[in-house]
Amino acid sequence: MTDLNELTIALAREKLDAREISSEELTKACLDQTRSLNGALNAVIEVYEDEAMKSARAADKRRDAGERLGVMDGIPMALKDNLLNQGHVVTSGSKILAGHVSAYDATVVRKLREQGAVFIGRANMDEFAMGSSTEHSAYGPTKHPRDPERVPGGSSGGSAVAVAADMVLAALGSDTGGSIRQPAALCGIVGLKPTYGRVSRYGLMAMASSLDQIGPMTKTAEDAALLLQAIQGEDKADQTTSDAVPFIPDWRENLAGLRIGLPRQAWGAGMHPEVRASVEEAVGKLKALGAEVKEVDLPYADEALAVYYVIMPCEVSANLARFDGMRYGLRKESLPLYETYARSRAEGFGPEVRRRILLGTFALSRGYYDAYYVQAKRVQTLIRNAYAQAFKEVDCLITPTAPNPAFKIGEKTDDPLTMYLEDVFTVGVNVAGLPAVSVPAGMADGLPVGMQIIGKHFDEAGILAVARAYEETIGK
Amino acid sequence: MNLTKEDVLHLAELARLELTAEELEHTEKELDKILGYVERLQEIDASGVEAASMSPKGEGWRKDVALACDEYTRELILANFPDKKTDLLKTPGVFEKPKG
Repeated sequence: MTDLNELTIALAREKLDAREISSEELTKACLDQTRSLNGALNAVIEVYEDEAMKSARAADKRRDAGERLGVMDGIPMALKDNLLNQGHVVTSGSKILAGHVSAYDATVVRKLREQGAVFIGRANMDEFAMGSSTEHSAYGPTKHPRDPERVPGGSSGGSAVAVAADMVLAALGSDTGGSIRQPAALCGIVGLKPTYGRVSRYGLMAMASSLDQIGPMTKTAEDAALLLQAIQGEDKADQTTSDAVPFIPDWRENLAGLRIGLPRQAWGAGMHPEVRASVEEAVGKLKALGAEVKEVDLPYADEALAVYYVIMPCEVSANLARFDGMRYGLRKESLPLYETYARSRAEGFGPEVRRRILLGTFALSRGYYDAYYVQAKRVQTLIRNAYAQAFKEVDCLITPTAPNPAFKIGEKTDDPLTMYLEDVFTVGVNVAGLPAVSVPAGMADGLPVGMQIIGKHFDEAGILAVARAYEETIGK
Repeated sequence: MNLTKEDVLHLAELARLELTAEELEHTEKELDKILGYVERLQEIDASGVEAASMSPKGEGWRKDVALACDEYTRELILANFPDKKTDLLKTPGVFEKPKG
């Protein structure tokens, strides 16, 4: 018998509805697991013990009265530490927001609460979501669940580990350049970055507003679909949310007629040989299910990372200007006023955040704006066009999610550029605003590997169906 | 692009970030390396290509009106003030002269 905390959302839902288990038992199992592992893994910054048990009992009470608020009713989950949760401390992994209490709920948090979800705690992350290893948290690094000397990926590393180590059934992450998919890949879980505009960003602490998107981190593709349905939708509070037809899962028995593209540019040199072999083998299984697989051309794929490392820091430098020590957050008072700003920000922000602020300040400054920012926005158009062209020939694109399995703690912190290269396969998706899912596909050096499936705008149903069909071939 | 120490100091001033001498040294090298990487963009001929933009929802700017909030929300906002006098936010003086 599986321990309750190891259940998927779908199975837990069935058992809850059939009254085989209670949310109280389920939540207790998750809290027990969190208590026993979190000291070593540091996945969850704050555990909401009492509140979680209270929510669980309330869910059970509703069930006794014959009510159910939604699919997530009574399901224990974790929230990334950059999602506002009214009355709770939320810090974005930063010292500048230590002790900062959210004044309001993020739209996704409100939706989940209204649907009865049980929040177990807030998950660790790279400061302001900047990083690919969760080493850049002011609250200490998160460790990989299979090897505590390795990183779990990032920036949603705490969310990924909480799910992979069965502390929760699911978690929310945010993805600006790969921050859901890469830690999901490294930890061996499913991570979905929805289409830009699918999920409201209201109450998500902004990193790069034109690229950020909140999404599910789960044990299966089916669970990712359930959680996406719970959080999606147009929101008056976020003008960039879309009025596109809501996502509904569209599972398929086989993949006959499906056209899969392997972008030539992504499958070149520069990936771990066992990552390549694992994802190739997974693609072979999709072929056996009837999919047609061919190489496609994806021009400018190599430039996506450079575009990202111009646009993102520009938006970071603007978005993080609000942390000035005046209305909230750390204030290091010193006269004149300029010194208060400069000192509060220097003490409150970690090195990676400061680096990106300076980089963005440079790319937006007089004399360089056209050569850097405007040029990057032009190449962004070329990248979008390249994806649109590829999607004329195929229904989805497949690449490895990350070029390497989980690396050692400290291995890449001295050289920011090598850390940035971890995102080489994932950033293009954000630059083009597309949906993509990472699904566990084999191992490299005994560590999990992720396969990334990229879809057309608003075709989450398509890519999740491929992900689930693959999971079935490996008996998930 | 090779930034000088003066360039980096100027950026730090614009960004309101204090830098120690050691940080200045690091930062200069790191930014040079990253800028060296992103400079590949300048080799792409993108003349005549329109810069990517988000499609706003047609309604333009939202109305600039104050929204009411409940007492609990108000208390939470006030509680996050770094310094206050009664319910008013206290800030360092804008026109104070530098010390010394």
